[in-house]
Amino acid sequence: MNDALATDGRDIAVTVDSVSKRFRLANERRTSLKELFVRGRSSYHDFWALRDVDLQVERGTTYGLIGHNGSGKSTLLKLMAGIHRPTSGSVEHAGRVSALLELGAGFHPELSGRDNIYLNGSILGMPKKKIDEAFDRILEFAGLGDFIDSPVKVYSSGMYARLGFSIAVHLDPEILIVDEILAVGDEDFQRRCFDYLAELRSRGVTIIFVSHSLALVQTMCDRVAWLDHGRLVAEGPAIEVVDAYVRDVNKRESTRLERTHTVTPDAGLDTSNRKGTGEIEVLGLDVIAGDDGGMAVTGEELTLRVRFRAHSPVENPVFALAFYPEHGQKVAGPNSVSMDLGVLEGDGHVDYHLDRLPLQHGHWKVSIGVTDSTYTHIYDHLDRTASLTVQTGRGPAQGGDVVLPGTWRLSTVADATLEETR
Amino acid sequence: MKDLSELWTYRALTTNFARRELKGRYRGSAAGWLWSLANPAATLLIFTLVFSTIFQRVPPVAGNGRLESYTIYLFIGLVCWNFFNGIVTSSMGALIGAGPLLKKIRFPAFAPVIGNAMSALVQTGIEFGILVVVLAFAQNLSWAVLVVPVVFALLALFSIGLGLMVSVANVRYRDVGYLVGVAMQFLFYATAIIYPPEDIPVETASGIPARWIMGLNPLGRFVEAARDALWYGVLPSLTLMLALTAIAVLTFLIGWAVFQRSALDIAEDL
Repeated sequence: MNDALATDGRDIAVTVDSVSKRFRLANERRTSLKELFVRGRSSYHDFWALRDVDLQVERGTTYGLIGHNGSGKSTLLKLMAGIHRPTSGSVEHAGRVSALLELGAGFHPELSGRDNIYLNGSILGMPKKKIDEAFDRILEFAGLGDFIDSPVKVYSSGMYARLGFSIAVHLDPEILIVDEILAVGDEDFQRRCFDYLAELRSRGVTIIFVSHSLALVQTMCDRVAWLDHGRLVAEGPAIEVVDAYVRDVNKRESTRLERTHTVTPDAGLDTSNRKGTGEIEVLGLDVIAGDDGGMAVTGEELTLRVRFRAHSPVENPVFALAFYPEHGQKVAGPNSVSMDLGVLEGDGHVDYHLDRLPLQHGHWKVSIGVTDSTYTHIYDHLDRTASLTVQTGRGPAQGGDVVLPGTWRLSTVADATLEETR
Repeated sequence: MKDLSELWTYRALTTNFARRELKGRYRGSAAGWLWSLANPAATLLIFTLVFSTIFQRVPPVAGNGRLESYTIYLFIGLVCWNFFNGIVTSSMGALIGAGPLLKKIRFPAFAPVIGNAMSALVQTGIEFGILVVVLAFAQNLSWAVLVVPVVFALLALFSIGLGLMVSVANVRYRDVGYLVGVAMQFLFYATAIIYPPEDIPVETASGIPARWIMGLNPLGRFVEAARDALWYGVLPSLTLMLALTAIAVLTFLIGWAVFQRSALDIAEDL
């Protein structure tokens, strides 16, 4: 069934129709005839890697597969690449499929890079003529210089990948199936990979893409399928499905951890790094999130409540928090010095409120400090005492430890000239 | 059977596997290709020692009536045997070796197996070349030698057919390899390679029709044809050639069918 046109008029490149895949896993696999005769047939149990998966990949689009480890993404990819057969259902392509699940497949370590180009190219489905034509360009793109004549076994993993990638680049696929393997390699290599994928996109190649990097999936893919334990949970535009996936992961995480972090000195505040004279004692830190999950989420509301006990009246103390990312230096250290708290006596709490938590996803450590208004007299100080887990928020991902509240605005020369003539 | 056309479609890939095997074989070793001569040379030496010197066997009368070298007589049989054994035995390793590839890329599983068999052709070609030169020197070379490539082509088909069968069986049950090893040992002595078929008694003392039973061995027929052409200097009979063709084609087709059926799910077993 070539040039499959779906009934709604779209041009479909790959159709996955009610596909299920079962692997028969022997409980104790008989790997030799001897075992077969001595122990008889082993019992099997069925592992359904995929169940009733339906999806269609439109020609020229980039399609992503996301899901937890073991969700069936790779199996689905292999079924689409024709490496396994579906147990039921069917996979159909309208176009030539090239699978890039590994770079440099078929390289013989003793042979030179030059020799290996032909085998690898032909395994990937390139006809000899095509390899001949592209040969010089492959050599140039790989940029290995004289190393091209050395046996491949002396190559570094980066060189290996570069050669494999260089061959793949000249493949001219119609439908490309890519596994995360392209994430291997140095910065330069990664950029080349993405340039290549972008070029393919502009050429109208259909790309099916598996990645754990959600940022990448949102940037590169048009539509995304979310798999969970072999079933298709959601399928749709990339940003929506990835958001839904992230929210689901967050929710699961919060049911796994506790709902609100109530840390008291007995139950969780790490008091190993404590100093201070003690007139005000920090009792605990509560994390109160606006979300019903009780988890701190980037970009969402958050209140940090420091519960204290003033053993004797203290005038105008300053409360401070410090935030440390998992690997790194202190990122922020807000304090209450601008507020006059008056005289504190007995029990109470101080809330630090953020409308939109700027801390990015990760495991943060929080220090709590109470000092006098000159910062010199320390009543209580607990260094990196509480753990704060921040979950990924919605929207496009950013790099770094914090999200800055900036906005972007474009002006071009044309605009400027317009300004001048006013 | 329609997928036999895949053999042609994927011929480039198959030859690339053959080339890969050949080029990589002796890379890194000091003597390189000379090693491919070492094994046959050593075998010949040992057998000559045992049969000519110790047993003092004399071969049947050669084509030119004068040649009495048991060594050469042996060599003819050995070339056939090495070809057959080489292909069947290495098919298993070739398929398993291609396992990691088959799990990542879609390409026909027969390509590494048949490619591997093609690389065995080169070794046989060398041995055959040496044989022809030696026969020329011994003045026992007739025009019948031209039919030998045909015999070898048929032997190749036969061997590949068997190779395809054992290689898929071996993927599923890894001790098939050992069984084949033992079977080959047995077959080597059961086929009239190191001894002339005339030595087999028509009937053993206990009444077993030995010669008839041994005659059922198809491999023996191939060796017979090779000997006809190279030792006796005559063309093998038409009946024999037809029989060889039938055996070769049939074995290949059966092997192909069995292989292609198993190959569909082979990525799971490797």
